[in-house]
Amino acid sequence: MTDSAIRPYVTRDTRATALAALTAVDHKTIGLRWIITAFAFFIGAGLLALTMVTQLMQPGLNVLSMEAYNQFFTMHGMTMMFFFAVPIMLGLGIYFVPLMIGAREVAFPRLNAFGYWVYAFSGIALWIALLMGRAPDAGWFNYTPLSGPVYSPGINVDLYALSISFLEFANLVAAVILIITIFKMRAPGMSINRMPVFVWSILVVAWMIVFAMPPLMLATIMLALDRIVGTHFFRIPGGGSSHLWQHLFWFFGHPEVYIIAIPAFGMVSTILPTFSRRRLVGYLPVVLSQVIIGITSFGLWVHHMFAGELSVLAMTFFAASSMSIAIPSGVQVFAWIATIWTGTKLRLTAAFYWAVGFIPLFVIGGITGVMVSAPPFDWQVHDTHFVTAHFHYVLLGGSVFPLIGMLYYWFPKMTGRMLNEKLGKLSFWLTFVGFNIAFFTMHYTGFHGMPRRVHTYMEGLGWGGPMLITWIGAMIVGAGFAVTLVNVFISQASGEPAGDNPWEAGTLEWATTSPPARHNFDSIPAVVSRNPLWYALEQDADATPAAYELPDNDRMTMGTSTLDGEPEQRLLVSDASIQPLVMAIGGTVAFYGALVSLWLVPFGASIAFVSIVMWNWPGRNREKEQS
Amino acid sequence: MSVEAQRTRPGAMDLPLNANDQSAPLWWGMILLILIEVVLFTGLIVSYFYLRFYAPEWPLGGISRPDLLLPSISAVLLFASSAPMYWADSSIKKGNVRNLKIGLILSLLLGIAFLVLKGIEYFGYDYNWATNAYGSITWTIAGFHSAHVISVCLKVAVVFTAATAGYFSEERNLGVRINGLYWHFVVVIWVPLFFTLYLSHYVF
Ligand code: HEM
Ligand SMILES: [Cu+2]
Repeated sequence: MTDSAIRPYVTRDTRATALAALTAVDHKTIGLRWIITAFAFFIGAGLLALTMVTQLMQPGLNVLSMEAYNQFFTMHGMTMMFFFAVPIMLGLGIYFVPLMIGAREVAFPRLNAFGYWVYAFSGIALWIALLMGRAPDAGWFNYTPLSGPVYSPGINVDLYALSISFLEFANLVAAVILIITIFKMRAPGMSINRMPVFVWSILVVAWMIVFAMPPLMLATIMLALDRIVGTHFFRIPGGGSSHLWQHLFWFFGHPEVYIIAIPAFGMVSTILPTFSRRRLVGYLPVVLSQVIIGITSFGLWVHHMFAGELSVLAMTFFAASSMSIAIPSGVQVFAWIATIWTGTKLRLTAAFYWAVGFIPLFVIGGITGVMVSAPPFDWQVHDTHFVTAHFHYVLLGGSVFPLIGMLYYWFPKMTGRMLNEKLGKLSFWLTFVGFNIAFFTMHYTGFHGMPRRVHTYMEGLGWGGPMLITWIGAMIVGAGFAVTLVNVFISQASGEPAGDNPWEAGTLEWATTSPPARHNFDSIPAVVSRNPLWYALEQDADATPAAYELPDNDRMTMGTSTLDGEPEQRLLVSDASIQPLVMAIGGTVAFYGALVSLWLVPFGASIAFVSIVMWNWPGRNREKEQS
Repeated sequence: MSVEAQRTRPGAMDLPLNANDQSAPLWWGMILLILIEVVLFTGLIVSYFYLRFYAPEWPLGGISRPDLLLPSISAVLLFASSAPMYWADSSIKKGNVRNLKIGLILSLLLGIAFLVLKGIEYFGYDYNWATNAYGSITWTIAGFHSAHVISVCLKVAVVFTAATAGYFSEERNLGVRINGLYWHFVVVIWVPLFFTLYLSHYVF
């Protein structure tokens, strides 16, 4: 009963020892680690891409050997999709969701730390393999039978199968944590229809992960079994089916695209209202569109297999469902345009540039998407640079642009310093122009027959000219991102101080200091509207509502009801511990050990088991607190 | 302009600390874990039927369809194990630690009996996972489920130890109950798996 007996919250030992870094569980520390690690992978994968376009710049070049090229495009695709795009969204969610909903922590901070270690270890394992020339080389979707033991002997594809199945633990853990945090830990009064749109998008994505990642995990484990212990799931001579891999993979793979895109929609819906100084036009339709996209994206996967054997009925169904996704996407585009149009005071900041630049790129990517969802068209351009151009418009234009915008928007909150606006706009223009030069041209090259995934081509095919243009564009893109990187380094040391709310934005993350204090909020805010900091602009808010006083002890936060956000309980969240790291090491031994000796699998699993018991063991202190 | 206004609302400290009911994050965590597992097992079942419907014959390669006797006995034992677990849960809700421990032990024994019979059954077959795709999918499903039974048995052992150390009471028993929930899940999921692995041969 005596709350004063509660130990202070050691989410992170303030002494800067190595042990403190290894035991940290604070959601801001962990979130920042996800973000930084994901950007590091982005830079790595981007450098691979620049090397690839250099190889393709002219016919018959020899910058990369065929084997190296295969590893490069596979690692570029894998890193971008699995180790950059999804993790960066989860990382931002882990960092900002508690701040945006007025909580002091995420649910299960230790599990959260565990998720990060798994993510880091699986990505690092792949990149070590690349440096040793042994990285996966069968493409990011790794089709069987090419990726089976017969056609891809050697450790390369083993690492694909093991790393991806291991990584999925991290994604699932983060998704579960985010769902529970959003459902149970919102500030009192933040009913579900007052949640910021970004939080909604993270919620939708977390639910998608729960349904999309297990099939992928299953597929990669089955592939690992095929390769390591000789099962026959995907091996035709033994009665297996290579189509099964395609189904399992794309059942995950299509939603994956929206797992990347929906948070980007949430970001645009956050940035535009702030700089237009009005609420988002059509909160309800925008949120509903995201939910609908999340659900329907599970009914589209077969459109990746139009070039395989399919019945006409199946093709028609999946073509129609794929095209219908354009409707909820269109609804959002109109909402964004209307928000800018009716804004009261436009402020053309760098973040605003990146968010607005996203709109045309996303529309172009969407239009080519509708084009390839028609099977006859798809047969024509399947596996050409047209498709490469299409998905870069969606992925880079539709997702990375808002993301960089969000970096400019949230960097002041994370560091307490502003990013340089001039450099931000320069970076935007370089990237935007370079991107269109590089990738618009690829539509043309693809129409003229240039296949993807070839390490070179012969003279006289007419591809050298456009590929040279693509190379120039790609280099400008590289320069554009480099400007932002430099900006980050300069500004975090000497940028202008930001203050609590430099953009005069309306959501709760701006109600605390920059960077946020360890416990986020001194007392838990009570919420009466969608933009709690915009009392004047919000009609339905009367005055500053009273806040909920909890002891100035950041281990305690508020638990509220799922729909209405009514106060239910006080939650005491767990504190720093070394066990998440130990458990992740146990998992690493179990997964990668399989390549050395199968005995390491139970060995690693036992380490993980012991550590999870120690981690959850009700400590003596804790027992006292709880009784 | 900060929401941490001067005025504060009293009464937050009167709310319960870490509720012992279904509003607890821990409860939600268990529900989501089970949901993820359901998706995984569904994937396995779908893969089974996918392979089956594209196969020229099933089981492949002249393997005979499985005999029902031994699998049925082990299934009955597994299903039975839910009863003492349920009893254990309701005992601790009334604060009865002794009955909790008896219930846990009974379930544990039934779970181990199931595992032993599964072992006898599978190692008695003349094919294994490397024989053909039929062997691969059946061994994987059975192995994956058995791995769940093993881990939930380990979990029960941990809960048993914690109960002996006096950690659970009438007010504090969420840990026991989510463990029970997981146990019931591992039991119930065997129904569709049993149908897939055994009965479906006789149905169509
Ligand atoms: C720095 C800007 C980028 C450039 C210059 C670039 C360039 C390329 C090129 C030339 C290819 C085709 C390789 C081939 O098929 O021969 C490719 C493939 C791919 N890219 Fe990018 N890319 C960039 C950024 C991204 C981003 C941000 C993402 C995702 C978020 C991404 C995802 C992919 C994927 C999934 C593939 C397919 C890999 C495969 O075929 O297995 N790229 N990229
Ligand atoms: Cu798709």
